[in-house]
Amino acid sequence: MQVIENSKVKETLYLEKLENGLTVMVIPKKGMKKKYMIWGTNYGSNENVFIVPGENTKTEVPNGVAHFLEHKLFEQENGTNSLDTLTALGVDANAFTTNDMTAYLFGCTDNFYPAMDELMNYVQNPYFTDENVEKEKGIIGQEIMMYDDSPDWKVYLNAMQILYHNHPVKIDVVGTIDSISKIDKEILYKCYHTFYNLSNMAIVVCGDFEPEKMLEEIKKRLKENKVEGNIQTFYPEEPDTIVKEKIEQKMEVSRPMYTIGIKVKPTDNPEEMVRRDIAIQILLELLVGKSSRLYKELYNEGIVFGGIGANYEFSENYAHVLISGQSNEPEKVYSRVKEEINRQKQEGISETDFQRIKKKLYGEYVKDYDDVESIANMFLANYFMGINSFDYLSQIDTIDVEYLTQVLNDVFKEEKMVISIVKN
Amino acid sequence: MNYTKKEIKKGIKLHILNTDKFKTNLVAVFLTTKLERETVTANALISAVLRRGSNTLKTQEEISKQLEELYGASFDCGIDKTGDNQVLKFYIETVNDSFLPQTNENILKKAIENILDIILNPLIEDNGFKKEYVEQEKNNMKQRIQGRVDNKRRYALDRCIEEMYQGKPFGLYRFGYVEDLKDINKKNLYERYKQLIEQCKIDIFVSGNVNEELVNIITENQNITNLQEREPIYNQESEKNTVKQGEKIETMDVMQGKLVVGLDVNSQSEDEKYNVMIYNTILGGSANSKIFQNVREKANLAYEASSRYFKYKDNIFINCGIEISNYEKALNLIKEQLEDMKNGDFTEEEVENAKKAIISSIKTIDDEQDTSITYYFGQEMSGNQKSVDEYIERIGKVTKDDVEQVAHKVEINTIYFLRN
Repeated sequence: MQVIENSKVKETLYLEKLENGLTVMVIPKKGMKKKYMIWGTNYGSNENVFIVPGENTKTEVPNGVAHFLEHKLFEQENGTNSLDTLTALGVDANAFTTNDMTAYLFGCTDNFYPAMDELMNYVQNPYFTDENVEKEKGIIGQEIMMYDDSPDWKVYLNAMQILYHNHPVKIDVVGTIDSISKIDKEILYKCYHTFYNLSNMAIVVCGDFEPEKMLEEIKKRLKENKVEGNIQTFYPEEPDTIVKEKIEQKMEVSRPMYTIGIKVKPTDNPEEMVRRDIAIQILLELLVGKSSRLYKELYNEGIVFGGIGANYEFSENYAHVLISGQSNEPEKVYSRVKEEINRQKQEGISETDFQRIKKKLYGEYVKDYDDVESIANMFLANYFMGINSFDYLSQIDTIDVEYLTQVLNDVFKEEKMVISIVKN
Repeated sequence: MNYTKKEIKKGIKLHILNTDKFKTNLVAVFLTTKLERETVTANALISAVLRRGSNTLKTQEEISKQLEELYGASFDCGIDKTGDNQVLKFYIETVNDSFLPQTNENILKKAIENILDIILNPLIEDNGFKKEYVEQEKNNMKQRIQGRVDNKRRYALDRCIEEMYQGKPFGLYRFGYVEDLKDINKKNLYERYKQLIEQCKIDIFVSGNVNEELVNIITENQNITNLQEREPIYNQESEKNTVKQGEKIETMDVMQGKLVVGLDVNSQSEDEKYNVMIYNTILGGSANSKIFQNVREKANLAYEASSRYFKYKDNIFINCGIEISNYEKALNLIKEQLEDMKNGDFTEEEVENAKKAIISSIKTIDDEQDTSITYYFGQEMSGNQKSVDEYIERIGKVTKDDVEQVAHKVEINTIYFLRN
C-alpha cells in the first residue's frame, strides 16, 4: 500500500488502488475502541444525464434516483433488510446521499467483521422489485415533507434556485413527490450498474487496524468486477451569471431567515480547490466571523443574534459561498455584507488579523483528526474530488495576504451575489 | 482513560478525565441550580451576559480574538434541563500543545484561565452588569425563546413535555419566558448572579492530558479560591410528578403532522432504569424496533419513527412525522406496539440485540470527550457511581422477563399532535 504520513497531526494514510478499480484507504487510530467503515460511490443527485459505458446514447433519469437507490440497496432477496441485520449486530449503520456522492457506513466496537460481511454484501447485491420500489415512495414522500417543514432547508434551497440557471445542484437531493413517482426498478438497476462499478468507488476504514490485513479482508469480500470505461456524465450549460438577486418565501418562522449566496467559478484543479477553500474560509472569518468588525456592529445594533454561518461548497463543476442566519432585517445584513466586502477590498487585508485567523483555522484542521467517523468521511469526500485531506495542513502555510487579496477580488463579486429570505 | 474526582471545596468538585488519546483538551464548567419559575429566565440570561465580556476581556471581540490566538480554542455555552435542575454549561476546547507549531505556549492553561474568568469574574459597572450587554441579551433571549417554533419537531416534543409537566419544574422552558424579561435589569440580574454563584453546585471537568501542575492551576486559580464553601441548592432527587393530560391537538402552518406520545414508565428504582433502556430500544430505539418496523417499514406512514428514554424523569417519548390524515392510523399502530410489549410479544433475540446496541454505545463513551463528560456528570447527578464496566455488566443481565415487567408499568400520559 502507498503510505502517506503527516507529521503535523501524526497520522498515516494507507492507500491502495486495486486492479478491479476499487480504491481502499485505511487510517489506523491506535487506542480507539470505535471502528468505522464507509463505502462510497462517486455518484450523487447531480448525475442525472450520462452515457452508460458501452452504449452510444445519453440516458436521462428523474431527480432523486441516487437517494432512492440508497434507500433501496438495503433490501435483500431473501426478504431481510440489511439495516435490520446490521442493527441486530449492535452496530450503528447508516447511509447518506449528497449532490456529489452516496455512501454506506457503519460504526461499532464489536462485531466489526460480521458487519463488514453484511455491508459489503448488500452494496454488491441489489434487489429491486416493483413492490419494494412502490412502498419506498411513501417513506421518501414523508422525508420530503419533513424537509418542507424545515425553514432553514427551504431558505438554502431557494438560494440555490436563484444562483443557478440549470445546474442540478439547485435540485433537492431527495427529488420531489412528482419526480420520485417516475422511478421504477429498471431505472434503479441501470443507475446501479453504471455508477456502482468498483472503479467508481472507494472504501475508507478508520480505527485500531493493521492496514495490510484490512486490505486483505476487503479483497476477500469483493465480487468479481469488470472494469468499465469512463462514465460520461453531462451537466447542462451553466452561465456565470445569477438568475436573479432576490427570492422570498412565506413560512411560519419566529423571525426572518436569510441565506446570502455568492456564485463562484469552479476549478477542477485539486490543488487550487484546496488553496481556494482555505482562502475563502479565512476571508469569511475576516468578513463576518466572531471577531470581525461587521459582526460586532450588527450584533450591537441588534440586527443579528447568535452567529452568522458561513461556508464554501464546491465540486469540479459548481462552487458557491453561503452566508446565513436569522435577522429582523435581512436586507440590511445583505447590504452591510456587501459594504464590508468593498471596504476589505479598498483597505486591504490586515496581516495581524490574517495571522490570527490562520492560527484558528490550523487548530480546527487538527481537531478534525480525533473522531474515526469524521476522519473517514472527510477522506472519502475529498478523495472523490482528487484531494488528499492532509493537503489542507500543508497548503495552509502557502496562503499569504497577496493570495487572499486575489481570491477576495475574484470570488466576492457584487454581481454574483443573491439573497434568499424565508419569513412570515 | 482514568477518571478521578476531588472536592475543591464543599459543593465544588473537580473531575479529571486523564487520557492521551485525543488531539484536544476539553474543559467544562457546569453550574447546577433548581429549575424554578422565578429564576429560570434570569439564569438563562446570566449565561448570555457572561459571554459578552469579563473584567479582563471586556468585549466579545476581545474574547473571540483571544480564542483565535489560542489556535481556535472554541468556547461554547448552553442551558440544559437535567431532571428538575437547570444547568448552565460552559465549554472550552483547545488543541494539545504537541500538535502545534510552537510548543512554548501552554494553551490549556490559558484556556482554563479564560473560561474561569468569563464565568467568575464578570464585567461589573456600578454594582451591576454592563447595562448595554444586559439590554442586548434581553432582546436576543426574547428572539431565542420566540424561535422555538422554527424547529417544528423539537417544538412538538417540548410542547408535549410542557403538557405532561404543567405547573411542575420539568415543564419549564429551559430559556425561560418573554414576559419575565421586562423586569430584569443590570442590578437585579447581578444580584441573582451573586446568589447563583454562592449557592449552586459547581462541577469542573477537564478531559485530556492532565498533570498535577494543571490541577494546581485550577485549584489555586484566584477565581476559584474566592468562591465560598456551600451546601449546594439543587434537586438531588427528581420527583415523579407528571400531570395526567390525555390528548392535545394544536395547529400551526405545517405540511406534515408531528405526533409525540409521552409515556410514564413508573420505574420503582434507579436500578430498574437499566431494564427500561432495553425496553425502549426494542420499542422505538433502533431500526429494528417495533415502531420503526411497523409504522415506517410495514405501513409506510413515516420517515421518522422512533422513541427516546428520558432517564432522569423516567419518561419515554415516541416521535413520528406523518401525513395529517394518518393520525388515527399511526396512533393505533403505536398503541398496538405498546400492547405487544405488554404481552411479551418480542423475542429473546431482540433483547440480546438491544443489549448489544447499548453496550456498544457505552464502550465508545471513552472515545469522545464531551460524551465522557456528560456520562460522568450524569453519574454525579444521579448519585450513582457505576463505572463503565459495571454499567456494561448490568445491561448484560437484563432478561426478557425484566423487559416485560417494564412493559406492564408503562402508561400513556399525553398524546400531542401538531397539525395544520
